[in-house]
Amino acid sequence: MSKKCYRFFGGALAAQEKWLNRMAARGFRLARTEKLLYEFEACGPGKYQYRVEFVGQKSRKDAEDYRQFLEDLGYRTFYKNINLNYSVGKVRWRPWAEPGGRIATNATTYDRELLIVEKEADGKPFELHTTYEDQIACTGVLRGPWLCMTAMFAFFGVVFPNIIFWVLAALFALPALYYQVQIWRLRREAKTKEW
Amino acid sequence: MRDYAKGGALTEVTFYILLSLYTPKHGYAVMQFIEEQTGGRLALGAGTLYGALNTLLEKGWIAPWGEAEGRKKEYRITPLGRERAERELQRLRELAATASEIMGGAT
Repeated sequence: MSKKCYRFFGGALAAQEKWLNRMAARGFRLARTEKLLYEFEACGPGKYQYRVEFVGQKSRKDAEDYRQFLEDLGYRTFYKNINLNYSVGKVRWRPWAEPGGRIATNATTYDRELLIVEKEADGKPFELHTTYEDQIACTGVLRGPWLCMTAMFAFFGVVFPNIIFWVLAALFALPALYYQVQIWRLRREAKTKEW
Repeated sequence: MRDYAKGGALTEVTFYILLSLYTPKHGYAVMQFIEEQTGGRLALGAGTLYGALNTLLEKGWIAPWGEAEGRKKEYRITPLGRERAERELQRLRELAATASEIMGGAT
C-alpha cells in the first residue's frame, strides 16, 4: 500500500525531518520523492529513522561521493529540492558554497540541495554529525544562504532606498541569527570538550 | 579536525580512526571498530566520519586500499599515519604518567 503526500518545507529542515520521522513512527517508509511529492510504502511502525541534510554547498561530485558513502554504510538516500522553481535551464550563483558548488545548474546540485537519509532503527540515536567541530561547520553551511540573502537585500536597501528591501533583509537575518546562536553555543561547548 | 602537526594532540576521533585502519577497513567497519573499542561511548556519525576520512586522505595519513570498483571503498593507514599515531601514543603515555604522579591512587 502506498501513500502519497504533498508538502513543501523550503528551508525548514528540522520540520521536514520531524515529519518524516512521524510518518515512519506511524508505519510509513519513504519510497520516492518529487518536487512536492513524498510517496510512502507501508512498513513496521518506527522501523526507520530519518535525517535531512543540506548538501547544496557541495559540487556534484562531492555530493554524489557523500551520498555513495552513506549508501555504502547501509543507509538509503533521496535527493530533494529545497526551493520550488519550474523554469527550464536553471543556473544559480551560490557565493556561500564550496568552490565546486558555486555555480549550481540542473547538472549539479540544483534541485538536489537536500539529502534525506534513512536508517533502519536499531535503538541508538541517529546522528550524522557528532563532533562539535563538524556540527559547527554544518551549521555554518546552513547559515550561509540566509546571510547571503540578508547582505543582498541590505545592499539593495542602500542602493535603492526602499523600506521593502530592509524588511526583507531583516526577515532573512532571522534564520541567519538562529544558526549563529547555535554556532556560538557549540563553540562555547567545544572549548572544554572535543565531542 | 583540530590536529596539530607540531607535536600537539590528535583528536580522539582521529586517533581511533588511525588505529582502526592498521588493518584495511571500509567506513562501516571503522564505525563499528570505534563503537566496540569504546563500549559505545564514542559513536561516530556518518557525516563526521566522512569528513574525517577525507581530511586524513588529504593529509596522506591514510590511503585508499584495494580496488574500489563495484565495492565499498576501503582505507588503510600509511607510514606517515603510523608515525603520527606512534607520536600520539607517546604523548598519551607521558600524560598518563604525569596524571598518575599527581593523582596517585585516586579512583
